[in-house]
Amino acid sequence: MSDDNWPSPMPRPGDDDETPGADASVFAAFAPPHDAAIAALPDDTTAAESPEEATATAPPEDDDFGPELAEAALSVRSAPQGVPAGGPQTASGVGNRVRGLASAGGADRVVSPRRRSGPLSWIGAVLLAVWLVAMPLASSVTELRQNTQIVVMVLAVLGVNIATGYGGMISLGHGVFVAVGAFGAAYAVDDLALPWVVSIIAGAAFAGAIGALVGLPALRIKGIHLALVTLGLAIVFQPLAKRVPTFSGGVSGRAVGAELVPPSWFGTTRWAEGLYRYVICLAVVGLAMWLTHNIIKSRPGRAMRAVRDNDTAAAVYGVNLVASRVSTFAASATLAGLAGALGIVLVPFTSQESYPFQESLVLYATAVLGGLGSIWGSVLGVAIREVFSAIGGFLGDVSGLGPLGEFLRLLDEEQFVFGVLLVALTFVFPRGLIGMFNRSKPWLRYGWSRIAESKSLQN
Amino acid sequence: MNWNWEILPDFIFNGLRDGAVYAAAALALVLIFKATTLINFATGELAMLGAFFVYVLNVEQGLWLWLSIAIAMLISAAIGAAVERTLVRPFDPADHLPVVLITLGLFLIINAVAGDVWNYQVRRVNDPFGHFPSWVPNGSELKTSSEGNIACLENADGDLAEVAAGTAGAEMCEMVGRTFFEVIGARLHYRTIGIWIALALALIALALILGKTKAGLAFRAVSSNTESARLVGVNTGRTLGFGWALASVFGTLSAALVAPALGGVNPNMMLTILIYALAGAALGGLDSLGGAVIGGLVVGLIKSVLVSWFGVVVLGQAYFSILQLAMAFLLILIVLLFRPAGLFGTRRIERV
Repeated sequence: MSDDNWPSPMPRPGDDDETPGADASVFAAFAPPHDAAIAALPDDTTAAESPEEATATAPPEDDDFGPELAEAALSVRSAPQGVPAGGPQTASGVGNRVRGLASAGGADRVVSPRRRSGPLSWIGAVLLAVWLVAMPLASSVTELRQNTQIVVMVLAVLGVNIATGYGGMISLGHGVFVAVGAFGAAYAVDDLALPWVVSIIAGAAFAGAIGALVGLPALRIKGIHLALVTLGLAIVFQPLAKRVPTFSGGVSGRAVGAELVPPSWFGTTRWAEGLYRYVICLAVVGLAMWLTHNIIKSRPGRAMRAVRDNDTAAAVYGVNLVASRVSTFAASATLAGLAGALGIVLVPFTSQESYPFQESLVLYATAVLGGLGSIWGSVLGVAIREVFSAIGGFLGDVSGLGPLGEFLRLLDEEQFVFGVLLVALTFVFPRGLIGMFNRSKPWLRYGWSRIAESKSLQN
Repeated sequence: MNWNWEILPDFIFNGLRDGAVYAAAALALVLIFKATTLINFATGELAMLGAFFVYVLNVEQGLWLWLSIAIAMLISAAIGAAVERTLVRPFDPADHLPVVLITLGLFLIINAVAGDVWNYQVRRVNDPFGHFPSWVPNGSELKTSSEGNIACLENADGDLAEVAAGTAGAEMCEMVGRTFFEVIGARLHYRTIGIWIALALALIALALILGKTKAGLAFRAVSSNTESARLVGVNTGRTLGFGWALASVFGTLSAALVAPALGGVNPNMMLTILIYALAGAALGGLDSLGGAVIGGLVVGLIKSVLVSWFGVVVLGQAYFSILQLAMAFLLILIVLLFRPAGLFGTRRIERV
């Protein structure tokens, strides 16, 4: 009997949008030794146990499942003698469950099955690479700085993506973490006169610490209620930041005195300085994406997704819910804070004015547009955002307004365009635009059911 | 510690006045949550739109103020029902995320459109409760007009200040006339009384609609159990649309009542009020209509008495005044953390 013929290990009634096996593969990945042991059993042990004993093989704490594992294996082995004559049908069902778990833990099906990428993703990758190389060569000093800001924005969107897409915690307040990262880095580099590297890390770490604080309530507050709390945070932040002038610069904002100067061999023109900052930011963004990818593919990332899909089941499988939720939120806030800290490298000024709550909503919208639960989705979201704001800017020019009105109108455009996109895409691309790039899953129909706690509120 | 007891009634009145506005906005949230367990994040913006309709009809078109408010309520109701029909109903109500996204999108759209059409300047509106109507007797309980002037100016610093009167100076106040009674040494403003009466009338109307009409009965059935209601023949879709319409009416009411106190209408006027309303709704229980009213009033009282009076006056710490919003946020946080059902809401039991 091959692995593929076995039934879905953890059937979830009433949820036909679910890819069979995906859930359980996440869970089962936590206990590979245990699963491997059961998988090693001969096939005729299928007629086994009462359901209680079968489920009892799931260890409550993953770190000390050794004895239980041995016990479970023993009990399964010894089972055939005690099988009642009339029971093969149900008993084999239970046995299948056990083996299903085992199969899901097998090396070839750990976590998510490898995604086959469609031709679109190659086109996208080529376009992105061309843009990343050609952009600095083709832009002026100002354009280069603006484009670098776009690159940095990926970090903030990725932060939202980690919290919401991978962690299943809706965060409508990530603009707050961007702001905290910027203020923290500015404080470190100016008031504490720390070197830039340390300041950037300090800003990001500070944002991460605040994120951990915000993550604490997320232990108990879920779903739409968490959306409510984070939206509240986003709205409350700006007026509060105005009143803490030592940190945020108060109403007028704070200028950053220190400047990131490139080494002399890099060139001394303004353009070369811009290029240096671009390269640094690009490197940081790339590094952060790579780290994020690795974290998501490793144990904490699996824990994250297990908690997202079903926290009770995750807890049963030995995931520490507190640690997982708080660290997820802290990681996502750290990324957002990093974006803020890099922001002051590019523009040596920061102010609470730059972080109205709408910015948080737009960040969330960007993550959703690109596609939650996908790192490249965040990149795509930012790209889409820029394309649309370019179109909006073009249209704003056409209508021929005064400079101030045009500026305001541009800001409005972005909000407006994002609102329309959010509504439209929720109808058409429920998984975000990244779904277009992924051939292996039906992106039109897939829906939001993967993303989290909405399930627990259904009852 | 400077226990300034004699000004406490002033703060209580102010708190209950603001609280009544929050209660109306909280009702708009709760009416939708009760039926669908969804939070309509665009509640504040829909209400703001309603206030702008009042502004257009009354100030720009010159209609009678109360007629403008009534028409604005009807338009808002139509918009609310249309939003429900086109944007919300296609999605499975058990799955919250699409509707969160839709209402957030609406939030951004309405805010941007209002900003585009009316820009972000504060536009003065007429106050339905600016001064006593002529039939109120000039009895001894009314202050004389000279003292009324002073009140106008003093009030310009308050959080729901009579900005228009304050900035225009004493002559303006003379024109406006007497605006308050004196009750137990505190000023009970006509606006305060008017907001209370308006809220009370709206609550009575809501109770009658929900309790005595067929549509109200259907609404109660759907919010109690959607599936069962559908099985016994209630048109759930239409009923939910009705709920959204009612919610929009209450939102518009709150915005129309609060607009004169904020100095006028502008696209961001409902932001902070949305937070207070969310706090009130969470405190009362997100699915309890009575809870929303009580929660809104309590939030107004906490804001005024605990923060403004106790913090600023008694403790003498001016920075307490900036904590009003933070207080509302903390209240939401604490309630959802320790008592997610609020004071009067139904406790949800999770089955795994």
